[in-house]
Amino acid sequence: MDLNIRRKSTKTRVTGSLIESYPHDLQMYKLPPLENISLQEFESLALERVTLLRSLATSTTLKGFRIYSEEWVEYIIGELRSQGLKYYAKLCEKSACGTTEADLQARRKDHIAHFILRLAYCRTEELRRWFIARELELFKMRFATMRGDAVESFFKINNLCYTNISDEEKSEIMHFLRESTPYPNLDNMKFYKVKFYEVLDLVKSRRVYLSCGFAYIPHKDFISVLAAQYRTQLKQSLAIACHHLGEIEQDERLVTLLKGLHQSYSGADYSSVKAVVPIESLDSLSVKSFPLCMRQLHEQLRLSHHLKHGGRLQYGLFLKGIGVTLEDSLRFWREEFTRIMELDKFEKQYAYNVRYNYGKEGSKKNYSPFSCLKIINTTVGPGDCHGCPYRHCDISNLKNRLQGYGFNSQAITEIIDMTKKGHFQVACSKYFDAVHHTDLGIGINHPNQYFEESQKIVKGEVKVEVKKEVKSTAVKMEAIDQIEEMDFDEVM
Amino acid sequence: MVGQHDENMLSDMLPIYYSRLFPQNVFCRWLSCGSAPQPLSNRELSFTLADDVYLRYLSISNQKELQTLLQKKCPHKLDIGAVYNTKPSVGRHDAVVLARELVFDIDLTDYDEIRTCCQEAKVCEKCWMFMVIACEIIDKALKEDFGFQSILWVFSGRRGIHCWVSDHEARTLDSPGRGAVADYLCLITGGDNQNKKVHLGSDNLHSSIRRALNIIDKYFEQLLQDQGFFSTPERLEKLSKMIPDEALRSQVQKNLDSMSDNSLDRWKTFINTYENYCRETGINVRKIRYLVEEIKIQYCYPRLDVNVTKGFNHLLKSPFSIHPKTGKVSVVFKPSNAKNIKLDEIPSIHSLLDDSSPDNAQHQANMRTAVKNFQEVVFSLEKLEAIRKKNDANVSLEF
Repeated sequence: MDLNIRRKSTKTRVTGSLIESYPHDLQMYKLPPLENISLQEFESLALERVTLLRSLATSTTLKGFRIYSEEWVEYIIGELRSQGLKYYAKLCEKSACGTTEADLQARRKDHIAHFILRLAYCRTEELRRWFIARELELFKMRFATMRGDAVESFFKINNLCYTNISDEEKSEIMHFLRESTPYPNLDNMKFYKVKFYEVLDLVKSRRVYLSCGFAYIPHKDFISVLAAQYRTQLKQSLAIACHHLGEIEQDERLVTLLKGLHQSYSGADYSSVKAVVPIESLDSLSVKSFPLCMRQLHEQLRLSHHLKHGGRLQYGLFLKGIGVTLEDSLRFWREEFTRIMELDKFEKQYAYNVRYNYGKEGSKKNYSPFSCLKIINTTVGPGDCHGCPYRHCDISNLKNRLQGYGFNSQAITEIIDMTKKGHFQVACSKYFDAVHHTDLGIGINHPNQYFEESQKIVKGEVKVEVKKEVKSTAVKMEAIDQIEEMDFDEVM
Repeated sequence: MVGQHDENMLSDMLPIYYSRLFPQNVFCRWLSCGSAPQPLSNRELSFTLADDVYLRYLSISNQKELQTLLQKKCPHKLDIGAVYNTKPSVGRHDAVVLARELVFDIDLTDYDEIRTCCQEAKVCEKCWMFMVIACEIIDKALKEDFGFQSILWVFSGRRGIHCWVSDHEARTLDSPGRGAVADYLCLITGGDNQNKKVHLGSDNLHSSIRRALNIIDKYFEQLLQDQGFFSTPERLEKLSKMIPDEALRSQVQKNLDSMSDNSLDRWKTFINTYENYCRETGINVRKIRYLVEEIKIQYCYPRLDVNVTKGFNHLLKSPFSIHPKTGKVSVVFKPSNAKNIKLDEIPSIHSLLDDSSPDNAQHQANMRTAVKNFQEVVFSLEKLEAIRKKNDANVSLEF
């Protein structure tokens, strides 16, 4: 098996010992591996890296840890150890430049596995986004755990030379640096001047001083520059890999493995449905089987006969996902909107959007309903009432709403507690239990999954003993672990 | 006058407006600079015709084609899109966006929860003040923080303003870059279910936020009076909902309820109460360290439609297009002059074309000023582009 098919072999072949190829735990993956490996190793390396990337995602989403926090890293390392991936645990825990055989072997596996996954994840835009986001998290996490001397040698190995600004320049802008750089003791730090677009994550969150298009960063923020370079490089490489897919897919032994790699745990996207749900039943369904985010949109629509764009998109796609037909959807929105506007205006300005959601207009793409992660990470502005109620509501408003629904105070407290801790999906699960008078603790990843789980109970397909059944909780959690939404962008 | 605007008359007036008053030449020069290194013909234009028929993916190669197209289609509204790698009318399905001005859209409807003079499509001199503040803050940030120079400010035609940044760096900025700039400038987040929409934390305030606050301070008291932000029980309720600390909230409620309903007086009392509270409680104030600043920002800071800025190929109404609902011209203005703009002095197609109209002379003059403002920006952009090309040529010779 020669991985070199990806690239015309103009690069000099990496020969010599492993120590020359892999001088450092952390690498930028600039050159593809050139050695021959067995099919078996190919497969296990691929699966192991998917496990690694997956544990990064789980730590953020299902566990709800703040990204790059100590608990977040701890969970991942623990997970790696329990899965028997000691070499990844080692690479993630303390990146350095040791020279033992174990060090070198770990780096070699890391290198090869990364390139195998490029092949598996280059085929669609969505896959690429997911892969880049996870690989970047991994890169940043590993950089953050590096010791000072290891950082220095990393810079040296990768030819990253930057000169710091002079002391005069620094003292001139010291006042602004103090205001805008979120670190203590700036006096002893060296500052570097880079273009603002090299450190977008710092710009985005206003953690850097900007002047005339330049960002002034201290040494420790260099990870932003590196990550941005790495992101660009990865993006380009994936695009190139995608062009060469045809060549790789001639080898049938690899096709099934590469294609199936992500699907093996990504779950349904709810873009096609079998059941048909009549719109007359929406009022009662919204109470019985809608998650709070959708119930809230439904009620808002009934109340004000209007939703802003974000709300129409989120709710419209959800309705499509539960089985409301295009014709019914048009009727539903028309009936509400025409109470406050002329029919003509609705047909001209809004009907298009409804048909668009069903893939009948514009790019004619059959859009999938939004997952929890997409909804949680959505931007919500003035006048909007979409988004995730646990994320985008003031606690007092949320509480009032829940009280208005007549939940008992214990249930409300549980939901509010989880919300306060930032465990939005867990709060949603508590809401589920409160509505259905159960204690299932289902992991909620998708509003449409919520709906389906609820319908199973309502229709009696799933027998539930009302309240207290510890066993089923554990089992359920595991099953849900398997469902993970693709559309999980980088958290910056 | 706005009151006399009749949409049905547009079809008769627009051909005359486009050939006599629309600055076709400067318009094409502006777009061609923004299109470099791709030709003008790769730029998407979009027309809205009578009866809301949309024509997308149009393009022109020169001023003559523009004139012909405008006369033939007579668009009620003119939008500008991105620059593609091919002529957008030809290969639009696999067309790739290569460049696009960095744009900002600020609309008064996003201020509905705080403005008290008007709602929705309405706008008056009082709420125009919000736009004045927005323009000054964004303009400063773009120039001082990001180093952009070619910045065009345009009245949107009804109730907002648009900003177009044509610097090469801005035009070629990728989506994450646009998103980062938008988020850097966006301080107000949250929907109808969140009362407090500004969170500044408790660390040092970023230089750009301090600068914005200094600008807000110039206008805050007047705006407070004009809008009567705290003059009724409901509006006071809004203020108190923004106070996260319960003890402080009840003190504020107690002190403000019992006094005169003048907003400025109430504001001063609020500040006093807040300061006393912080002094007395001492340690506990981290959470509300910047409460006063947060409230000022929520009431005054620009509310950007970030999706317009983040999108690489979002269409935006062209300068000097007529707003079909008001008949007003989307005039280009100087940011330094924003505060002197009088809404009824903004030229409308009716008074421009009717020389018996009482506003005719003034609207004509204002139209000329607007075209001159446009020219100035385009000339400076052409100069910038010339310098950039020269530098690029030098760099490529060196290698």
